[in-house]
Amino acid sequence: MRLHRLRITSFGAIESVDVEFGPGLNVLYGPNDLGKSTVVAAIRLGLLLPHMSTHGEQYVGWTGTGDPTVEITLESEAQRIWRVRKQFGRAGSSMLYESRNGRDFDEAERGRKVDGRLREILRWGIPEPGGAGASKGLPTSFLATALLSPQDDVGAVLKNSLQEDSTTSGREQIAAALQAIAQDPLFVDLLRETQARRDSAFTDKGTKKTAKGSVFKAAAERLNETRDEKERLERIVFDSEAAEKRLGDLIERRTGKLAASAEASSHAESLERLASQALRCSVAEGEVRLAQEDLGRIQRIETETEEAERETERLAKRIVTAEQVLNEARGRQTEAEASLKTAEEAAHAEGSDSGVTDTVVRQQLELRTAGADHAVVEAQQRIDAVTAAQKLVDDASAMESELQDLETTTRSAVETEAHVTAALEAAEEELRRCDVVEHALDTQIADKRVAEAQATADKQSALKDRLENVSAERAGLARRHAAITVPPQSALGRMRQLETELAAARGALNVGLTVTVTPKTPVELRVRKDGEDLEVSLNLQPLDIEGNAEIEVNIGDAATVHVRGGRREAQENAKNLEDRWSREIQPHLAAAGVVDLAGLDDRSREAQELESGIRAKDRELESLRAQAAELDGAAEALREASERAATCRAALGDIALDAVASDLENLGPDAVAGLRKRRQQSSKVVDAARATANEAANERVVLDERLRQSRSTFAVAVAARDGALAAFAGGLESELTAARGALKAAVDGKAEIARAFASLEREIDARKARIDAALSGARTNVEQAVAGFETAQAELTEAKTTHAATHGGLLALRRQRDAENIPAAEARLREAVAAHAALPVPERLVSEEQVLAAQNAAGEIKVQLDGIDREILEAQGALKQVGGSVAKERLRDATEAFELAARREREIEAEYEAWKLLLEQMQEADAAQASNLGQAFGPAIAGRFQELTRRRYEAVQLTGQLATEGILVSGAVRSTERISVGTREQLSTLYRLSLAEYLGSAIVLDDQLVQSDDSRMEWFRALLEEKARNFQILVFTCRPGDYLDKKAMAPKGSAVYSDTDGGFVRALDLSRALRRR
Amino acid sequence: MLRLLHTADWHLGRRFPSFPEEGQKKLSRARMDVVERILDVARRNAVNAVLCAGDIFDDPDPTPDFWEGLARTFQARGDHHPPVFLVPGNHDPLTQESVWWPSHPFRARLPRWVHVVDRDDFIFEISSQAVLYARPCRSKAGQKDLAMDLPAREAGDERLRIGCVHGSTFDVQGYQTNFPIRRDAGVVRGLDYLAIGDTHSFRDVTVDLPVPTVYPGAPEPTSFDEAGAGRVALVALFRRGLRPRVDSEAVAFWKWIDVRCRDLNELRSLMTRPELDRHVVRLHLDMTVSLSEENEVERILRDLRGTDATHGRVGVLVEHLDGLRLTVGSANVFPENLPAVLKDTVARLDRLVAEALDESAKSRATRALAHLYKLLQNHDATGRQDL
Repeated sequence: MRLHRLRITSFGAIESVDVEFGPGLNVLYGPNDLGKSTVVAAIRLGLLLPHMSTHGEQYVGWTGTGDPTVEITLESEAQRIWRVRKQFGRAGSSMLYESRNGRDFDEAERGRKVDGRLREILRWGIPEPGGAGASKGLPTSFLATALLSPQDDVGAVLKNSLQEDSTTSGREQIAAALQAIAQDPLFVDLLRETQARRDSAFTDKGTKKTAKGSVFKAAAERLNETRDEKERLERIVFDSEAAEKRLGDLIERRTGKLAASAEASSHAESLERLASQALRCSVAEGEVRLAQEDLGRIQRIETETEEAERETERLAKRIVTAEQVLNEARGRQTEAEASLKTAEEAAHAEGSDSGVTDTVVRQQLELRTAGADHAVVEAQQRIDAVTAAQKLVDDASAMESELQDLETTTRSAVETEAHVTAALEAAEEELRRCDVVEHALDTQIADKRVAEAQATADKQSALKDRLENVSAERAGLARRHAAITVPPQSALGRMRQLETELAAARGALNVGLTVTVTPKTPVELRVRKDGEDLEVSLNLQPLDIEGNAEIEVNIGDAATVHVRGGRREAQENAKNLEDRWSREIQPHLAAAGVVDLAGLDDRSREAQELESGIRAKDRELESLRAQAAELDGAAEALREASERAATCRAALGDIALDAVASDLENLGPDAVAGLRKRRQQSSKVVDAARATANEAANERVVLDERLRQSRSTFAVAVAARDGALAAFAGGLESELTAARGALKAAVDGKAEIARAFASLEREIDARKARIDAALSGARTNVEQAVAGFETAQAELTEAKTTHAATHGGLLALRRQRDAENIPAAEARLREAVAAHAALPVPERLVSEEQVLAAQNAAGEIKVQLDGIDREILEAQGALKQVGGSVAKERLRDATEAFELAARREREIEAEYEAWKLLLEQMQEADAAQASNLGQAFGPAIAGRFQELTRRRYEAVQLTGQLATEGILVSGAVRSTERISVGTREQLSTLYRLSLAEYLGSAIVLDDQLVQSDDSRMEWFRALLEEKARNFQILVFTCRPGDYLDKKAMAPKGSAVYSDTDGGFVRALDLSRALRRR
Repeated sequence: MLRLLHTADWHLGRRFPSFPEEGQKKLSRARMDVVERILDVARRNAVNAVLCAGDIFDDPDPTPDFWEGLARTFQARGDHHPPVFLVPGNHDPLTQESVWWPSHPFRARLPRWVHVVDRDDFIFEISSQAVLYARPCRSKAGQKDLAMDLPAREAGDERLRIGCVHGSTFDVQGYQTNFPIRRDAGVVRGLDYLAIGDTHSFRDVTVDLPVPTVYPGAPEPTSFDEAGAGRVALVALFRRGLRPRVDSEAVAFWKWIDVRCRDLNELRSLMTRPELDRHVVRLHLDMTVSLSEENEVERILRDLRGTDATHGRVGVLVEHLDGLRLTVGSANVFPENLPAVLKDTVARLDRLVAEALDESAKSRATRALAHLYKLLQNHDATGRQDL
C-alpha cells in the first residue's frame, strides 16, 4: 500500500492541507504545534474510522464551520488506486472511488460499505464495521498500530501482537509475506503446485468453481449433457415401452375379445340354429299334426261311414225282422180278434155295436199312432241330419273364424315385416348414404388433389413453355454465335501485333515519291498511286506524280514503270508481313465478314456477348429443367388424380356433390372421422334393423305356413259343410224348424192318440169290465196278440226310426267321405313325417329373447373389437414415432455415457477435494512450522538491531503472534521494558520498518526517534534512505535535519516540497502546505 | 451356382458416447473403413450380389460425412461391380427425411450397381435363374413381418428366390414391435435363402429348416457383448431345394474385450498382449495398491491409453477404476529426508486417515497423500535429487 495524496479540511486545528506524497521517504516537517499529529490522525481516521462514528467529533473544526473532511488517495497494488473521501459528523458521508490510472476514478462504494471495503483492501486484521469484534471507537489492530502508530505511544508495537486482532486478515497478510521468504523451496514448489491445482477447482472461499473452464464445470456440463440425453432417451423409451405395453395389452385384449367374440358369435349362431331348428321342427310338427288330424278326421269319417253302413244294414234287417214279427203279431192279433169277435159276437148281446165302434176307433187310433210314430222318427232323423249339417257349418264357421284370425295375425306380421323392412331399408339407405357421402368425400378430396395436381401440371406446363422459349432463345443466340467466326482472343493479340508490324513496315515504305513522266509522243498514261487508280488524259505535258509509297505508271503499251519507296529489306519485310496478313489475318476477316481488326474486335465482342448470353440461357435452362424435373411426375400425378377423381365421381354416380354438401358439412372438421362415426352408427342401426327384420320374416313365414294349413283345413270343412248343406236347400234353420215342428206335431199327435186311446180304453175297459168276464179269454188272447203286435209295431217303428237316423247320418258321412282324399292325406302325412324326421332335433329349446340377447352380446363384443383394432392402429402409429428397440439401444449407450460421466465427476470431485485437503494440510503444517511468524520475522529485526546497537543485543525474541517477548542479551531474554526509552523506540521503529518492508506497505512515523542520539539517527537516516527505494515511509517531524540534508529541504518560496535522491526522498514543508485556523 | 455376400448393421454414423473422445472417432471411422473390406471380400469371392439387410446408417438422416463417405467408397469401385442392395432398417427407416429418399443427394451419388430398396414391392432379377425380393422398414418400430410380406412362390417358378428384410426373429426379446420375422417365413414364402439383419452377432436362425435364415451380424462390433460380430455371410446357392451353404468371413478391424485385473502383475501382463492396438479394451481394475504402486498403475494406464504426445498401446481404452483402491495412509513410502513441513503434512494426513469417521474422509485423506506422493515423484523426475 502506498499513499498518493492527502487532502484535509476543517479537521481540528487544520483548516486545510493538500499534499502529494512521493513513492519513497517523505519527510513532512514543521514546527511544533503546527498540526503534524493531527494530519497523522486524519490519515488514521480516513483509513479506519466510519464517518458516523462519534470518535470523529473531537476533530470538528475549532471554529465550528464545516465538518471535518479527509480525502486520501492510495494504491493497494499495481494499477489499483483508490480514493477515499470521508466527511465526519452526523451529516457526514463516505465515498470510495477506484481507478486504474490515478486520473479517472469510478465510484466503487459509498456510505457504510466504504469502510468494509477499505478494510478488505488493507487487510490489517480489522473486522467489518458492525461485524463481530468490531470496536465502537477508532478501530485498531496489530498492523494498524505498527503502520500508523501515534506519536504518544512509540512502543505500542512492542506491547501488541496479532493475538488481539479480531480477524485473521492481518496475520494472513504477514504470514503470506513472511512465508514467501521463510519456506523451504521444495515445500514452496509443492505448495504452489498444490495451490494451483486447488485454485483451478475452488474459489478463494473454498466453494467449487462453476465458471466456464473449471474442471467441475466441464464435468458437470458433461454430466448434465449425458443426463439430459439419458433422460430424453428414457422418456422416449418410456413412451416406447408404454406404447409397446399398450400394444401388447391391446393385442392381448384383442385376443381375449376375439375369443369372446368367437364364443359369443358361436353362442348366438348356436342359439339361432337351435331357434331355427326349433322353428322348423315346430312348423314340421304342426304340419304333421295337421296331416295327422286331417287323416284321422278322414279315417274317422270312413270308420263312421262304415259303422253307419253296418248299422243301417243291421237296422234294415231289424226292420224286416220287425215287419215279419209285426205281420205275425198282426196275424195273431187277427186271429185273436177273430176269436174275440166271435166272443164279442157272442157277447154282442151286450152291445156289439160299441165293441165294433171301439175296435174301429182303436184301429183308427192305432193307425194314427203308427203314423205319428213314423212322423216322429222321420222328424227326428231330419233333426239329426240338420244337426249334423249344422255341426259341419259350425265347424266351418269356427275354422273360418280361426282362419280370419290367422289371416289378421299374418297381415299384422306382414305389416310388421313391411314396417321392419322399411326400417331396414331406411337404415340401409342411410348406410348407402354414407357410401354416397364417402364417395362424395373421396370425390371432394380427389377434386382437391386434381386441382393441386392441375396447378402443378400448369406450373410444369408453364415451365415447359418457358423452357421452350428459353431453348428457342438459346438456339437463336447459338445460331447467331455460330454465324460468327472469330479467332480466339489470344490470336487477336497476335493479329494486332502483326497489324502494328505491318503498319510499321508500311510506314518504312511511306517515304514520299515524286515521279515525273515527260512523254515524247502522245501516249496514254495510266497511273496507279498508293493503290489508287488515277485517270490521266493524253497530252504531251510532263506529268508530276506524287505518292507516298508506290507509284505505278503504265505507259501505253510501251512499258510500266513501278516505283516503290523504301529500301529493299523494308519492302521485303512489308511484303512478308502483307503475305502473312493475307495468309493469317485476311481469312479471319473474310470469315468474320469484316475488313479490319477493329471490325474483328467488334465481332469478337459480339461473339463473347453471345456466349455469355448462351451461358446465361444454359443456366436458366438448367434451373428450369431442375424445376421441371421436380415436377416430372406432375402429369402422371394429374392423370392419377384425375383417374382417382373420375373413379370417385363414377362411384358417386349421378349424384351431384351439392346434393351431399350438407352431409359433408355436417361431418365436422375431420370429415373422414365424422364419416366413420356416422357409418358406425348407421351400421349399428342396420344390424339392429336386420335382426328385427329377420325375426319378423321368421314369424311371418311361420304364420304363412299356419295360414296355409288353416286354409286347407278350412277348404275341407267348407266342402263338408257345403255337401251337408246341399241336402237342405231351404236352409238348415227352416229345415230344423220344420223337422222340430213335425216332431212336435208328431209327438203331440201321439199324445193326443194316446189320450184318445186312453179314453177309448177307459170306455172299452169299462165295457170290457163288463164283457171281460165273458170275453176275458178271448180278450186276453186279443190283448196278448195286440200286445205282441204293438211290441212288434214298436220294434218296427224304432227300427225304422233308428234306421232313418242312421241312414241320414250315413248319407252325410258318405258325402264327407267322398269329399276327402285319403291317399292324398296319407301322402301329406308321410311327407310331413319325413320332413319332420329329416329335421335335426334341437338340443334344447331357446327363447327369442335368448337369441336376441346372444346376438346383442356378440354385436357388442364386435363393436369392442373394432374399438380395440382402432386403438391398436393408434398404438402402432405411436410406436412408429417413438423408436422401439432403436431408442433402447441408444438409451443403453446414453446410460453408459451418463454413468461414465457420473463416475468421472465423482473422480474429479474426489481428486480435487483431495487437492484441497492437501493444500489445507500443507498450509496448516506450514503455519505450524513457521509457527511462529516470530521465527521468520525475528531475525530480520534482530540483524538490524544488532547492527544498530553494535551487537550489544544478540537477538529479538518474538512469539508466534509477533508479540515481543524481549531481547536476548548474553543468552537471556530481557524484557523491552528493561531497556532504555531511546533503544526501545529504536527497536520499535526497526520492528515497524521491517514489518512495513515485508508487507511492502506505507508506514507513518510520527516523531518516533526523538530520544535517539545523533549517531543512531544518522544510522537510521541511512536506513530510511535505503528502504525508501522499497516502500513508502512518511516521517512527521519538527526536526527535518534528523532525516534530510539541508539541500534536500524544500526551497524557500512557494514550493511545498522538494524531491531528491532520484525522487525517492521528498521533503515536504507542512508549514506551507497546511493552513491552520 | 449363385454366390451372395450377405451383410447388415453397418451402423455408419453411430456415436459411442461412453468412450473417450478419440476412441469415439476411431470407432466411428472404423465403421466406414470396414465397408471397403466387405467389398474386397465380395470381389475376392466373385459374388453375384451383395445384400445389406438394414441399419446401414445408424440414423435415417446421418451427417453428410457418412453418406458422402459411403458414396465415395462405392464410386471408387468404378462402374463395373456386382449389384449391391441396400435395405433400410429400423435404425435408418425409409422416410422422406432419410438418405434413402429418391430426392436425397446421396441417391444421386450412388453408382448404377447400387440399388436402394425403396419400394414395398421391390424385386430384382439377379440372373435369369435367381430373383431377389426385399422390403424396407418404414419406421423405427413396427409389427409387420416384412418377410411374410414377400410374395409366395408361384407354381412353376423354379428360380432361386432370395428374400432380404430387416427385423427380429421370434426368439429375440422385443421382437413383437421390431418387425418380427416368423422363423419359418423362408419356408412359407418359398424362398431359398432369407437374408436378415438386426442382431449384431452372426447366427443361422433356422439350422433345422431347409431355408437358411441368417443374421450376418455387424461387420464391426458396437459393444462388448457381441461375441459373434465382425463377420459377413458368404452364401452359395446351388439349386432349388438344396439347402444353401452359408459360411462367414471376418472383416472387423477391432476386437472388443473385457479385461479385469486383480493385481498389479495382471495389469503388467496386459501390456504384453499382442495386437492391443486393434483392441477395444474395457479395463476393470479390482485391486488395492500402495501409493508407490499407484504411481506404476498410473504409468501403465498412461502407456495403455496414450498421451497427447504418444500413441496408446491399446486402440481404444475404457477405464473402470472404481475398484482401484489405495492402501490407507502413507505406509512409510515417503522419504525420510523430507523437509519438516512436508513431514508434518504427511503426519497430519495420516492422522486424518486414522481419525476418519467414514470411508469417504479416509479415502479423501489417502488420496491427498497420493497427490503429495506424486508431486514429490514428479519433482524428483524434474531434477530435484536431494530427496
